[in-house]
Amino acid sequence: MLSSVTAEVQDAILGEDPSEGALRTVGLSVLSLVASLLCIFLAPGFALPVLAAFVVVTAFGWRTHQAEIARLLTLVATILTVLTVTLITVYLFFSAFPAFTAHGIDLLTIPILESGPQWFFWLDFVLPTGETIWNPRAGVYSLIPLIWATVIVTTIAGLIAAPLGVLGALFIAEVASDRLREAIKPGVEILAGIPSIVYGFIGFKVLNGFIQKSFLDDGASFLIAGLVVGIMALPTVVSVSEDALSSVPDAMRDGSAAMGATSWQSMKSISVPAASSGISAAIILGLGRAIGETMAVAAILGAVVQPTVPLFDMFDASSTLTSAIAHNYGSATESTLDVLFVAGVMLFVIVAGMSVISQYVERRINRKLQGQQ
Amino acid sequence: MSEGYAHENELVSAESNLYDRAMDVGIALSITTFVVGMITFADGVSLAATGMELVTFFGILLGVVAGGVGIVAVFSYTNVVPITSQRVRGVALGLLVSLVGLAVAAAALPVSLATMLGLVMIVEAGLLVAAGAGSRFGFVETDPSMSAGLLAGIVFGLLGAAIGAVIVASFPGVPGVIAGVPLWALGGLLFGVGFVVLTVSPREDIGSTVPPALIIGILGATIATAVIGVGWQWTPENLSGGFTGGSVIPVFVLFGSLLSSWSAAKCRADFGARGRQYGAFFVINLNAFLMVAIMAAIVVFVAVKGIGWAFHDFSIGALSLLVVLAPLLVLTVQRARAPAGTDEWHSAARQFFRVLPLAAVGSFAAMLLGIIVTGTPFEIPYQYAILVDRSTVMLDTAFRVTPSLAVGNLLVIVSGTLLFTYFLRRYGSLRDVGIEYERLSPVRQAVPAVIGLLVLLSLVFVGIGPAPGGIPIGPTVGLGLATLGAIVVAALVLAPLGALLTGEGSLAERAHENAQLLNVGLFSGVALLFAVIVLEWTAVSNPQLGPLAPVPTVALLAALVSICLAAFAARARRSTDDTLRHRVLGEEVTLALTAAAGFVTLIGLHVAATSETAFAVGPVEVAIHGSLSWPTVLQGAIPLGQAPGGIYPAIVGTIWIVIGASLFAVPLGLGAAVFLTEYAEQGRFTEVVETATNALWSTPSIVFGLFGAAFLIPRLGNSLSLLAAQLTLAFMLLPLVVITSREAIKSVPDEYRDASAALGVDRWTTIRSVVIPAAMPGVVTGVILGVGRIAGETAPLILVLGSEINATNAIDVLGGFAFTTSPPFITNEALLNSSAALPTQVWGIITAGVSGSTSKGWATAFMLLVVVLSFYAVGIIARTYFRRKINYE
Repeated sequence: MLSSVTAEVQDAILGEDPSEGALRTVGLSVLSLVASLLCIFLAPGFALPVLAAFVVVTAFGWRTHQAEIARLLTLVATILTVLTVTLITVYLFFSAFPAFTAHGIDLLTIPILESGPQWFFWLDFVLPTGETIWNPRAGVYSLIPLIWATVIVTTIAGLIAAPLGVLGALFIAEVASDRLREAIKPGVEILAGIPSIVYGFIGFKVLNGFIQKSFLDDGASFLIAGLVVGIMALPTVVSVSEDALSSVPDAMRDGSAAMGATSWQSMKSISVPAASSGISAAIILGLGRAIGETMAVAAILGAVVQPTVPLFDMFDASSTLTSAIAHNYGSATESTLDVLFVAGVMLFVIVAGMSVISQYVERRINRKLQGQQ
Repeated sequence: MSEGYAHENELVSAESNLYDRAMDVGIALSITTFVVGMITFADGVSLAATGMELVTFFGILLGVVAGGVGIVAVFSYTNVVPITSQRVRGVALGLLVSLVGLAVAAAALPVSLATMLGLVMIVEAGLLVAAGAGSRFGFVETDPSMSAGLLAGIVFGLLGAAIGAVIVASFPGVPGVIAGVPLWALGGLLFGVGFVVLTVSPREDIGSTVPPALIIGILGATIATAVIGVGWQWTPENLSGGFTGGSVIPVFVLFGSLLSSWSAAKCRADFGARGRQYGAFFVINLNAFLMVAIMAAIVVFVAVKGIGWAFHDFSIGALSLLVVLAPLLVLTVQRARAPAGTDEWHSAARQFFRVLPLAAVGSFAAMLLGIIVTGTPFEIPYQYAILVDRSTVMLDTAFRVTPSLAVGNLLVIVSGTLLFTYFLRRYGSLRDVGIEYERLSPVRQAVPAVIGLLVLLSLVFVGIGPAPGGIPIGPTVGLGLATLGAIVVAALVLAPLGALLTGEGSLAERAHENAQLLNVGLFSGVALLFAVIVLEWTAVSNPQLGPLAPVPTVALLAALVSICLAAFAARARRSTDDTLRHRVLGEEVTLALTAAAGFVTLIGLHVAATSETAFAVGPVEVAIHGSLSWPTVLQGAIPLGQAPGGIYPAIVGTIWIVIGASLFAVPLGLGAAVFLTEYAEQGRFTEVVETATNALWSTPSIVFGLFGAAFLIPRLGNSLSLLAAQLTLAFMLLPLVVITSREAIKSVPDEYRDASAALGVDRWTTIRSVVIPAAMPGVVTGVILGVGRIAGETAPLILVLGSEINATNAIDVLGGFAFTTSPPFITNEALLNSSAALPTQVWGIITAGVSGSTSKGWATAFMLLVVVLSFYAVGIIARTYFRRKINYE
């Protein structure tokens, strides 16, 4: 039992058939690394010197048994990466736990307006209702307005990003000449690279004034936030659906062309249906970006947390899940912090879930198009 | 689509007639209205404009379009950008025609812009109906299908229903409800069904022109009759906002012109399958154009807003600018020298565009020389607004180029290094060329040994300090060794010049024979002098022999000698016909230029390494403080001052964050990618890791911020800190590095690995010398793009780094390291302190409300955009470069 475990560990670290010297070198290196990891948690002060020892040992090992040490180093990198990913996930849930236990279902309190509880898809039969929905001093927190604000902003953004993005992807993948494609693709990438805070600053300084004049609003509004986030999500939709369209085998299009179809006909009836799951994956990913967008939304919508009345008023404003964290974290009390972690966990679960779904969809379509199904 | 598939718009591009021309004008008119709609939306022109104002507006538009069309026409005529499609030509002409028409109409009719847009929409509707009817009654030969199709029917049905509902609801004096059903719903239903029938039941030429024409006509009539005029307002009771004429009219115009351009495009291509294709492609193209326009608008807008402050009080010496220009000059020369392609008749035009950059850079350089010679500074004065005590103040400032001859050492180093690497990459090899002198081989062996000794000595000085126990060992030893080294370098460099100038045979023969002398002399010279400068730095010594400093003097001398060598070799190269000799001499020229760039760089390095403030030759000097003055980038904020100060601390902070995050994430991610792709068994484990990393990459950045603030900060001294920011962003970068590196490694063909294995090479050596080099381009590009994204990331930083807006001092990371006797033995105060950064500074200005300086915000956003987009530009250029290399080699 024990020996088989040892053998497996040895196999993982060294591969097959290690020599005696390699075993010693790599063993020493692993020992020093484990020691330094232990130090980080037990005696942080000594972590750096022990780490230095690991570096020295490994450096000497590199001279004598390069292959084994290289394998070890890549393995260590993998383990650290996996550990980081796990640590972030676990720690988030762990930090949100106190708020879950303290508030429970009250975190989803539906606001009461003059005419009774606000209509919220008949959910007031299930969820609690309350007069106040966000008052850190009294310890009352409801995430409903935040969630609803996120929903509105994401919907507007999706309405903009999805059609424009798919059309853009069609242009790049099917319509544009090679030369034009070389020019437009980097353009889309650059659009993705403009930092969100720059969008936020433009929205805050310019667009909020524009909406006051043209739409008689008091400044902050979901409409502008959704518009800006839609433009920000556009590149994601474009590039992922472009990948999907490009991965449709040429043979399918050639077949359609051989039947005498125009390129629009084969695009409409062959490429888009074949890539449809990839395109939906792109839209899901784009929506994920829109949900997670923080700075532009925080700058445009401000820090107020309030119910949207009436529910579909796109000229109203309230913090979203993300912007509430950005606005409140610095000045928050202990209990508010815990609630913000709940918001963070929600975001994490929703967006990571969307990403996993879109990856699943993408993988399925790839298998299908490669004819393995 | 694979090649060989005929594009039918090129096949039908031969003939066209009146109908086609008219439809081209129709399309162009729609495009024009669309653009005008955009401009009114952005408040570029008032909807109430009339008379002269309107004529001027259309005149400007006409000018822009005529210029654009004219340039393209010239390019097309000279066959640089050949445009063969009749449709593109038709639309271009149509643009001119419709703008001339609009300008004339504006002069003739006494109406406002809004009314005029409404009238234009009615005209468009009429044109569509005429085209549809003409086709239906056989006046023009077209190829329509039996029906416009159910999809079009549904779309027009929905649009019709919406219009019907609004019309009925807003009709005065009609009862709201009949028999329990709201009347607007009935109206909507009626209109909707009517539109569906009108679209689906007639032949396609009617079905796809009349319904859109009706919609456009109704919208146009609403605007033209001022039912919805400029001053119109509607505030629904329970919404927080409302609608004004200023916002509704442009929306109507945009929507109507989009619809009419689609329909007109369909008409233009004679309906049927081809018509549908042209219509759809038209919309797709317009959308792509719109996307690019949005991107350009954002970048240009931020640049225009921020450039005022960003270049406040900017001034630079003409010589410094020349130094900066030097690499560019070399590049443009190289471009102009490259073979100009075939001897087709239009190659003259291509030749022209090959030389154009050189002409531009060259004339700029000539202007700079003029500034130096005449001594008159060049100034562009301008004004920009800043906020002082909550009120806007206009500041006068200027962009200056002074005739100063001082050059900052940093500029020299950067420019020199760029040129050095450029030439070195072009340089091939001179191995086994010419005579191998016997006395050369001891030099070959001695130089590396001497350099090794010098480096070892430098390390010793780092360890014990330059003056242990108060005895100035460093300066003394430095004086001796540096002087000696300089003399040796001078000898090494002068030897090939001597050999070239004296001796038998022609210049070319001598240059060929003495190739080894050149090779050893120049390379050893650069390397030896570099080692000497390192010693100067560590030993804190700055040898002076009377008025002369031997090291920079020798460097200057060597640079001049190298240039002479290059000139002689180039001259010899001209005179020889022998192909081999021609190549050898070409190599020698490149080598000499490499050395010249290297020696110039060393002058800059010498100034940086010693405490000397400047190295001057006559009026020209290389100094620590050159003639570049750029307060915004090189200064911190000035508290309570009238002068606006700069954002240097934020720039430095961003740079350190990016460096720290990359140092952590890149090796880790690359290692993990290698293991996962090359060692690990492909299966469940790798798939889970891949899914997890992908999910983590799309996780909102603010979540990483939460993690950093709650997990890292308590463990790193419990305060906002640079280190926490670096680690948080590293966690964000890590998944991307893993993903892109894995993809790059996966895309290395298995044949490479098999071939390597077949040669008996073990796994690690295969990875190291086959897989990683092949995957490197992909990895590098992906990492650069990821780093660009990280550089602009804000959300996590405001949680772990704060949002300082008026930092006066930059964080000093390099100077922050200190050794202690107690664990952890090495500390860095700077890393554990908060710092300003570009993105957080913008956020800070937003949250500061009225006390935040807007102009500073724009300038910071502009600089941030410049930093991020430079990363992207480098990444994209690198990718294109590598792809070309892979495809053509």
